[in-house]
Amino acid sequence: MTLLEVKNLKKYYEISQGLFKPKVVVKAVDNVSFSIKKGETFALVGESGCGKSTTGKTLLRLTGTTSGEILYKGKDLLALSAEKMRSLRAEMQMVFQDPYASLNPKMTIKQILMEPLRVHNKFQPEERLEKILKILEIVGLSKEHLDRHPNEFSGGQRQRIGIARAVILNPDFIVADEPVSALDVSVQSQVINLMLELQKEFGLTYLFISHDLSVVEHMTDRVAVMYLGKIVELVDTEELFANPKHPYTQALISAVPASHPKEVKERIVLKGDVPNPANPPSGCTFHTRCPFAMDICKSVVPALTEIESGHITSCHLYTNNKEEK
Amino acid sequence: MTEVLLEIKDLGIQFKTGEGVVQPIRGVNFSLKKGETLGVVGESGSGKSVTSLAIMGLLPEKKSKIVSGSIHFNNQDVTHLKDRQFRKLRGNEISMIFQEPMTSLNPVFTIGEQLSEPLKQHKKMAKKDRKEAIINILKQVGIPRAEQIINEYPHQLSGGMRQRVMISLALLCDPKLLICDEPTTALDVTIQAQILELMKQIKSEKDMSLLFITHDLGVVAEMCDRVVVMYAGEIVESAEINELFDNPLHPYTKGLIDSLPTNNTRKSRLFSIKGQVPRPDEIGKGCAFANRCPYAFDKCIASAPPTFSTGEHLSKCWLQEPERQVKIQ
Repeated sequence: MTLLEVKNLKKYYEISQGLFKPKVVVKAVDNVSFSIKKGETFALVGESGCGKSTTGKTLLRLTGTTSGEILYKGKDLLALSAEKMRSLRAEMQMVFQDPYASLNPKMTIKQILMEPLRVHNKFQPEERLEKILKILEIVGLSKEHLDRHPNEFSGGQRQRIGIARAVILNPDFIVADEPVSALDVSVQSQVINLMLELQKEFGLTYLFISHDLSVVEHMTDRVAVMYLGKIVELVDTEELFANPKHPYTQALISAVPASHPKEVKERIVLKGDVPNPANPPSGCTFHTRCPFAMDICKSVVPALTEIESGHITSCHLYTNNKEEK
Repeated sequence: MTEVLLEIKDLGIQFKTGEGVVQPIRGVNFSLKKGETLGVVGESGSGKSVTSLAIMGLLPEKKSKIVSGSIHFNNQDVTHLKDRQFRKLRGNEISMIFQEPMTSLNPVFTIGEQLSEPLKQHKKMAKKDRKEAIINILKQVGIPRAEQIINEYPHQLSGGMRQRVMISLALLCDPKLLICDEPTTALDVTIQAQILELMKQIKSEKDMSLLFITHDLGVVAEMCDRVVVMYAGEIVESAEINELFDNPLHPYTKGLIDSLPTNNTRKSRLFSIKGQVPRPDEIGKGCAFANRCPYAFDKCIASAPPTFSTGEHLSKCWLQEPERQVKIQ
């Protein structure tokens, strides 16, 4: 069952160059379509500046959209009034990357966790504290933490509080924007375990935004790889790591450091940096760094095509001459 | 190749804080041979950055004090060197690359001006030669249009480019020792791959020693010949790279390796070390890792273990006591 469907989502930012000069348009999210099934973990992967976080934020309408449709349980989110949207956010929550910046330093943990219950008017006031204690226990904190402030906690504990705040309303859908990338390795695995447990317990659906491919491989079901605002490949996680099609995905996977010194990796090292999104290359935006670039890549934008069942990618290698690669 | 370039013996560093004295570094021992890449692995707060700052003589003077031990660089005792003497070493024989390339470059000077600084300090060169040397080194680290880049400011470059500039800055005077403090943590994976490749290439060309500080075991596996693992201001294990990954002796190292997602079956519960790194003031008289260790027994809580060695493989754990020699699985 489809929980959320995104159709041709666009988010353009305009940068003013001066009063009489034309504005430069940055296509942060450019014609992105995907759907997320109930109960799955859907990953958005890409380097910084590829538009993965912007996509996550537009889904909750935390930033506006330029055009497109977001259907959540059949309802078009972009057509809802601000008030309706706010009450719907009880079902859609977000976990942020930086646990140091996403908790109000002046509030105690009790206040932080009380806030969503108060805003959405859930439970009787007397019951709320009980609910908070229950959720704290689930995320691995305890009663004595209630009256402390965020600065008294370590990074891992803060991320647990961030997760507790998102889960306390019993949402169906959580956007997790790089939830573990600011954490230490040993703490990272604790938080991943917590997210997997919560998913089982509450039947959560995650949109997992990350640049760490080893984490994505471990915990997600399907992956969309983004490059300069566009999805370049979308497929089941296992298939993506076993059989990546798009040259960018191949490079991305090969760039992950080995897990053992004896592991020999054939590495595709990409030339250059991600191009400036305000002035993206013509044709396929990846052609400037692509080791297989052909003439056609410079002029024609490749369309997303299903090259095997359930495996979608946008690359001329698979649309024109199939015998190559 | 076997000559020792850097030797740290029983280093202890204290910091003065508002609430009293804490000691984040408690007896660190290691040595670095010429031409070797030594990885220093640890979580935040384990003291790896403080150790590297001590080697560079960059500890805050008023707040910190080296209370024990010594640092020998190139057979010279640099433990209590005066700042003026240190300046001759820094940027010349020892240089350092920091984690965040944007904050370690000065935003109001051009790349060329910043790169000429170490040459002005350490080398007597004509202006023209200096410029030539700078362009040369920029080309070596793979910066295109080096002639124009020297007139640009740091904000005009991307993250990967800035880190390349930092590397070229560190390489200008042909240092004997290059300390890299998390050089790729702030970069994207594809850029990280580029930078690691570049550092391997430079190292093989210049025959210098690298001290590679990171929390990423994957990066260590790629780059290093030998590894020391730090935990709460101590070195808990030290071994050759393959030996460490194949046969970790300390439960902490074992836990770190096991918690990598790639070493766990997909979708299963990841192995994780419970709890968190203790603050310096929380460490008791026992083993600092005892409260998180799955193998801990009475002795671990009662007293801190000394360093046991099995050949070149050192570890600080009671399990490795000669009469015990437990192999952890």
